[in-house]
Amino acid sequence: MSIFSRRNVLAAFLTLGILVPAFANAYHLFIANLIVIYVLLAIGLNILVGYAGQLAFANAAMFGIGAYGTALLQVHLSWPFYFAFPAGALVAMAVGLVISLPALRLSGLYLALSTLAFAQCTQWVFLHWDSVTFGAGGFKSPPISFEPLPLNKPVGLYYLSLLVAVAFTLFAQNLVASRIGRAFVAVRDSDIAAQSLGIDLLRYKALAFGISGFAAGLAGGLYSQVLNFVSPEGFDLFQMVIQKSMIVVGGLGSIAGSVIGAGAIIVILELLREVKGAQEIVFGGLLIFFVTFLRGGIIGTLQSYVPGWDEPLHGARVVSGANTASEIGALDEKQSTT
Amino acid sequence: MLLFSYLLLSGIATGALYALVALGLVVVNKATGVINFAQGEFLMFCGFVAWMIHVQFGLAYPFAFIAAIAAGFVLGAITDRVAFRSLAKTDIVGLVLATVGLAFVIRGTARVIWGGKADYLSFPPITSPEPLMIGTIMVVPQQMIALAGAVLILLIFAAFFQFTRIGKVMRATADNPRAATLVGISIENVYTLAFGTGAAIAGAAGVLAAPLTLLYPDMGFAFFIKGFAAAVLGGLTSLSGAIVGGLLVGVVEAMAGGYIDSSMMELSPFIMIMIVLIICPTGLLSLYKERHV
Repeated sequence: MSIFSRRNVLAAFLTLGILVPAFANAYHLFIANLIVIYVLLAIGLNILVGYAGQLAFANAAMFGIGAYGTALLQVHLSWPFYFAFPAGALVAMAVGLVISLPALRLSGLYLALSTLAFAQCTQWVFLHWDSVTFGAGGFKSPPISFEPLPLNKPVGLYYLSLLVAVAFTLFAQNLVASRIGRAFVAVRDSDIAAQSLGIDLLRYKALAFGISGFAAGLAGGLYSQVLNFVSPEGFDLFQMVIQKSMIVVGGLGSIAGSVIGAGAIIVILELLREVKGAQEIVFGGLLIFFVTFLRGGIIGTLQSYVPGWDEPLHGARVVSGANTASEIGALDEKQSTT
Repeated sequence: MLLFSYLLLSGIATGALYALVALGLVVVNKATGVINFAQGEFLMFCGFVAWMIHVQFGLAYPFAFIAAIAAGFVLGAITDRVAFRSLAKTDIVGLVLATVGLAFVIRGTARVIWGGKADYLSFPPITSPEPLMIGTIMVVPQQMIALAGAVLILLIFAAFFQFTRIGKVMRATADNPRAATLVGISIENVYTLAFGTGAAIAGAAGVLAAPLTLLYPDMGFAFFIKGFAAAVLGGLTSLSGAIVGGLLVGVVEAMAGGYIDSSMMELSPFIMIMIVLIICPTGLLSLYKERHV
């Protein structure tokens, strides 16, 4: 077992994560908290896109639903945060389950379009349902307190986020190594083959959407507290591209990759915050570069050069060769059957 | 009646622009199997190029129009050569993500060159902005020019695909790439051509749209998603379907905006997409076609 194996490096990250509040200033703590939240988002999205192979664009919307759900339950119904937070995540999960219903009939591009349309509808609701969501201006979300514990709000929130993220990472790690994870990969690689092996497509697709929705909802609830403010702007298409680039840069179909990708992207995002247009160019460029030249992402490179990074089920993605023109595939099928 | 005819006309005019975007998507998709998520950004970028030539260099509108189409073609061809050639063998997830990445690169570049998030450039109107009354029908000349331009472009490209040698080569490749290779057609060049043509059509739409809307770096996405919706309505591979779909999206949008609530204008296309995808995912025209299994 090499010293730089996956387990050791991730454990080192975790130790570092626990120690952050001890030496970080307020801004660094804020960034660390963002990274932890995005780890949740990236893992959720990677389960859906990287493992189950569903090309969905609704994660930013679910992130928003989690944030709005958590904050609005506190504002309108004056629920305490600790009830509103899981409730917001459950709402996001329920929405995820609902949009998975068309996903059973749609695949590839059609799924991408319908989830994009759904995301736009969500954005519209945030903007125009003034009486509930306070419209384009957004609203302040009531701050939480950690009364009995000797923690101030940023530190307490950071540890809460870390706790949730670590728990979810462990859950995801075990999930993808289980029967469910294998079923996801089977659905991704060929849903017809998966079905013929007795895998219930509806159930597993819905499960993948539900899990990623739940993770996004949790992240949204924490995000509303980190910013103390909720507005529609944060949950637009650019948010989606940030999350997508995390999983592509980290590595599609890898939990450790999601963690690394989230960290790397947030740091780049913060470094580029001042420059107009640069964030978009860099993220778009990263997406193109990694998809074109480094298909496995950072994790793929690590797996080929550093021992001890193999993950269960990381296996090479099946690249369907003649994808450039569906006609070629159809032609081959015709020829092989006749 | 006045309201209805006005909404119908303006719906058709914007619908014709969506039809152009959809047409560009279908041309690329037919040839290469890729949906170019950067199509709306091509449109935006070419709109800005036209603005530069028309407003900053002071050349006449037709020159700007031609320049934007040329810029679109070059942009599309470069995109294919640089980004998509090496991607041709990956799966759909990779292709879609790469085009999404491209969309953001173009958007960011436009922001660097032409302005930030709240900067809107106005494109000077080509005709007087006053609406005309023809009988009992109200006509906005600017919209009619956009409509006429869109129809002209559609006719030109229809003729291009029908009668020119290159058009025939592209159709042959879309029809059966293997047979096309066998008769000596270079598929790679056809891909580049298809990307270029698709982007040129988007560029034309951008110049026609510019006087109707303001120019801003984020304008592309709305056009893309409505054009995509139109293309899906038409079944993603049918050129005529794309045009029908575009007009339908435009009219539905205008009607929803006029009769229900102006904010419904943004929402109605998405609701329509979701309903269509749930009921008949292969497009409206497929209802009348027999299925080949």
